[in-house]
Amino acid sequence: MKMAKRLLAYSLPYWRWLSLALVMIAFTSLSINYLPILIQRVTDQCLMNTSSPVAERIDLLMKLSLLYISIAAIGHGVRYFQGLLTAWIGQKIIYDLRLEVFRKVLRMHQAYFDQTAVGTLMTRVTSDIERLQHFVTEGVVGTIADLFMLLGIMGYMIYISPSLSLAIFIPLPLLFAFLLYINVKLRNANRDIRDRQSRLNALLQEDLTGMTTIQLFNREASAMVDFDQRNTHLRSAYFDEVHWFSLYFPTIEGGQAISILLILAVGGMLILNGSTAITLGIFVAFLAYIRDFFRPLGSLADKAGSFQIAMASIERVFNLLDRPEEVADPAEPANPDHIAGTIAFNNVWFAYTEENWVIKDLSFSVEPGQVLAVVGATGAGKSTITNLIGRFYDVQKGAVTIDGVDVRNFRKSDLNERLGYVFQDPFIFAGSVADNISLQTPGISRSDIVNAARTVNAHAFIEAMPEGYDTVMNERGEGLSLGQKQLLVMARTLAQEPELLFVLDEATASVDTATELLIQDALGKMMCNRTSIVIAHRLSTIRHADRILVMRHGELVDQGTHEELMAHDGYYRHLYELLLHAPEP
Amino acid sequence: MFSCNRRRVIPTSDIKLNRYLIPHRKEIIGTVVCVLVTVGINLYLPYLMRLVIDGLTEKTLDSATLSKLLGIYLLLGAVAVVVSRFLRKLPLKLSHKVEYALRSDVFDHLTKLDQEYYRSERTGDLMTRMSSDINLIRDAIGQGLLQGIRTITVLVFASIVMMLTDPGLSLLVYSLYLPMVGIFFLILRVMRRHQKDLQEHVSEVSNFSQESFSGIRTLKGFALERRRNAQFKELNSGLVRKNMRLQASRQSLWPFMAFWFSLGMILILNLGGRRIIDGGLTLGTLTQFIQYLLYMQWPLLALSWSMSLIQRGKVSWVRVREILERESSLESRSENTEPKKDQGDAGIQFQNVSLNIQGRHFLHDIDLNIPEGTTLGITGPTGSGKTLLVSLVARLMDPTSGSVLIGGDDIRDMPLAHLRGIIGFAAQEPVLFSQTLEHNIGFGVAKPDKDLIGWAADIAHLRDDVEGFPERYQTVLGERGVTLSGGQRQRTAISRAIARRPDILILDDVLSAVDTQTEAAIMGKLQPVMNDRTTLFVSHRISTLRYADEIVVIENGRITQRGTHDELIRQPGYYSELNTLQQLEEQLEAGS
Repeated sequence: MKMAKRLLAYSLPYWRWLSLALVMIAFTSLSINYLPILIQRVTDQCLMNTSSPVAERIDLLMKLSLLYISIAAIGHGVRYFQGLLTAWIGQKIIYDLRLEVFRKVLRMHQAYFDQTAVGTLMTRVTSDIERLQHFVTEGVVGTIADLFMLLGIMGYMIYISPSLSLAIFIPLPLLFAFLLYINVKLRNANRDIRDRQSRLNALLQEDLTGMTTIQLFNREASAMVDFDQRNTHLRSAYFDEVHWFSLYFPTIEGGQAISILLILAVGGMLILNGSTAITLGIFVAFLAYIRDFFRPLGSLADKAGSFQIAMASIERVFNLLDRPEEVADPAEPANPDHIAGTIAFNNVWFAYTEENWVIKDLSFSVEPGQVLAVVGATGAGKSTITNLIGRFYDVQKGAVTIDGVDVRNFRKSDLNERLGYVFQDPFIFAGSVADNISLQTPGISRSDIVNAARTVNAHAFIEAMPEGYDTVMNERGEGLSLGQKQLLVMARTLAQEPELLFVLDEATASVDTATELLIQDALGKMMCNRTSIVIAHRLSTIRHADRILVMRHGELVDQGTHEELMAHDGYYRHLYELLLHAPEP
Repeated sequence: MFSCNRRRVIPTSDIKLNRYLIPHRKEIIGTVVCVLVTVGINLYLPYLMRLVIDGLTEKTLDSATLSKLLGIYLLLGAVAVVVSRFLRKLPLKLSHKVEYALRSDVFDHLTKLDQEYYRSERTGDLMTRMSSDINLIRDAIGQGLLQGIRTITVLVFASIVMMLTDPGLSLLVYSLYLPMVGIFFLILRVMRRHQKDLQEHVSEVSNFSQESFSGIRTLKGFALERRRNAQFKELNSGLVRKNMRLQASRQSLWPFMAFWFSLGMILILNLGGRRIIDGGLTLGTLTQFIQYLLYMQWPLLALSWSMSLIQRGKVSWVRVREILERESSLESRSENTEPKKDQGDAGIQFQNVSLNIQGRHFLHDIDLNIPEGTTLGITGPTGSGKTLLVSLVARLMDPTSGSVLIGGDDIRDMPLAHLRGIIGFAAQEPVLFSQTLEHNIGFGVAKPDKDLIGWAADIAHLRDDVEGFPERYQTVLGERGVTLSGGQRQRTAISRAIARRPDILILDDVLSAVDTQTEAAIMGKLQPVMNDRTTLFVSHRISTLRYADEIVVIENGRITQRGTHDELIRQPGYYSELNTLQQLEEQLEAGS
């Protein structure tokens, strides 16, 4: 309920429109449901009223007919616009919410993305929000509309004949309960179908991708057995659905038949016994009401069942919105015009999960223009260093400063506009090569793009692509080799002209030797005259560094130039020899 | 993409959907009977209503007759409700049976198609055919059958009954309904167009979100949040716009029909009413007509719906049939389905082998003789045709000309299952299955035992990794389990290949993601295994290649160098260049 209340808060900005929609709903219900009363009047006053002169009856018939058609036109017209208005309000509410969710996700800190699968996030922005939209328009407003419809019909029925109405209303709760029951069963069956379909699809996807493997290992028959098992499973869920679905409409039909029977029986008996409370007109009008009556009834049963599913989605969306942002922007951010490039760690402690220190009491500084290489075995905390400077995470103790200013005094976006990264796995956006390099940053011209690409040795292969820099790539950068993607991403970083550069470099065996040399050359050019920190795995980059930090289990064990460190004959020397034999961590 | 021009698609004798329907003819007949019964009763009940009303107006009805009429009404109504259930259950259940059978057949067929087919078709597209296309066919059968038969029956019988009751009013009903169905159809078409527009926009939005979330590091690293948010806002507004365009037509559907129906109602009441006043018509008959009007409404509207369902089902059936009619391009040339008895020689020969795919020449005049028990190393630049060469041995495709022989027999004369049974194949980017590690290693063995699995894992230097997994060999791989690193995947693939204890071992660059130390360890353990069998391995590393008895260099689809390691390093050419380069790298890294 608290959730529903909170969701309701999103509709507050539109309360005027919502009130208008409610007025329209009430108007529709009153007008459309008045029509059977006109039928009653036609029947009683024109058709059956043998005491009046024929001309008068025909005249009244014409008048009532015109009234009937005008009310119908206005009623249904209003209903159309009410439908549009309601849909629009729902869209606006969802628009606000979707934007909020998306922005929230982008504001979340890196740790959140480490723990949350992209698929889960996608569900929040797409299907959960869609369910919410459904809940707002069809669910809330739809329920109100159905209730008004039902109340309207019942009101008019009681108005023209309380006794007949009573006879019809008595079996209704039972019918409604049964419909509700069927709905719950149907919903369960549907959930099973979805689960089993996705299990079948998962198997199918895997088998289709690995069909060559299946064939090479003569596993066709057993693949068929696995497939058949899930296929049969899915079919039985469908059978379940059919079982309950085939009860739904017959139940409504049965309800209608019973109601008509009751009208004929009770009404017939009353007329036979000479009661004046029931006229033939009422009889005919009731037959008309019965038809309209069961639609909102069925749809109410539908909605009652879907309420829970929507609530689960609402809860998930709100939970996401309520997550604390652990890396917050300062109230009064610092934003100096120029960064000289002194980066310092002062007694920094950091843990991804509590008390599990990845960085322990780390202190060091980099002078402007220096290239600093960080070396150490896997898990020594090397890449964490760049994460802390760029505020992907914030330190727990101590401080990281740039030109003496604590990084926490910078806004994250201001900070990152000044920093440049080369990540291990190159990420390609769907779009042209040029856009992937410029990232559509204002002020980066085509010649800047080409220059950056030339510098990092990417120009040649880009020119060789079908439309050069305007070649549109798909999301995964299909068609480019890993090495080419790495060069492209380096061009991107260079084009942004970062004041400080961080490189997470890892020699990958799947890059051929020629491209590997191009990458090393490009890295060298990028770091030239730029304060850089390199998380180094390549011996070539290590040796070219001005200074080397040696990390071990989150602690700084040694620092100096390559020659100095080799002379120390300590951990670095061991590490170096290890790297010599294994180019990979 | 890949499709050999030499290969022709021979359609198998025209597969018809009837094949799936005929076994269920009883259910189809049952459906027709149910339709006839429900329609009959539903046309008769308004007649009963008329008797009651007319009896009441003319005061000819007594309570005994009324009870009798109501008794019949109750009885028929009950029968109609029960039959109405079967009317839905029979065709829907049938449609799910067809769906099941069709999906099974397609999958079974897919397991028989060659690699060439899988290269030319995208998995996503095949997935769509297996799920949504088959679902559309099912709906066309289930809903189409149900609604189709019902609509036609209702139309035919209601027309007859109405004409018999009152021709004038019947004509009025028809002149009203025909345009209604037409307009309804139009609105549906407009709706579908907007729906498609919206759907496209929705997938654009979700692609954008997906990209933003999976590239979050890049996004944050380049401070792109503001730009991304603005772009998302734009896309989001587009959603509202497209949605409202759809709503403009969708919301009109129900009010329009309800209004049209009111129009029909009042016209019947007005015109029929005049005749009642004249005494030419009874109120009962008029009520009976109004009931027919109501009864015909839905089947008529369902007409356009079921027509479009059947239309879409047909399109989907064509797409599914395409799979079923596609035959593997790998045909056994001889009738021989039994492997020859005198197996034993697993020497491989390539005789003048060339391979063209889509007019491009990938391999030229390859001649090779790999005696049983020897090891051939294959190297060469990326894209030179090394993988295609080893694929020919396992008949993942057939050469355009020339032939591949094993033990002196053309492999096209061997049963495919037998050929593949004697080969252990490990690829550079292996596919592993989301099952236990044990299952994956023993994948090609009928009944793998623990010793075999352990042995295979040990050879591939996987044992230590396994010890680190939560449930060792029972650890489930993939999304819901442990994600293996590239090197671990490759080593699992090696275990999988050698666990078969094959006569022929093919290793296609399977150590590329493994570091040099591990590589040396694996090669050391693999050595005895390779000595027992004919081995082909593709590699870029001199340190691995030197293990081979003979090495060939493939450049642009041709063998440009062949010999032992010692011979080749002395020849000028690709191999010695590669050797120098790799030595330089070592020296560069070793140099002080």
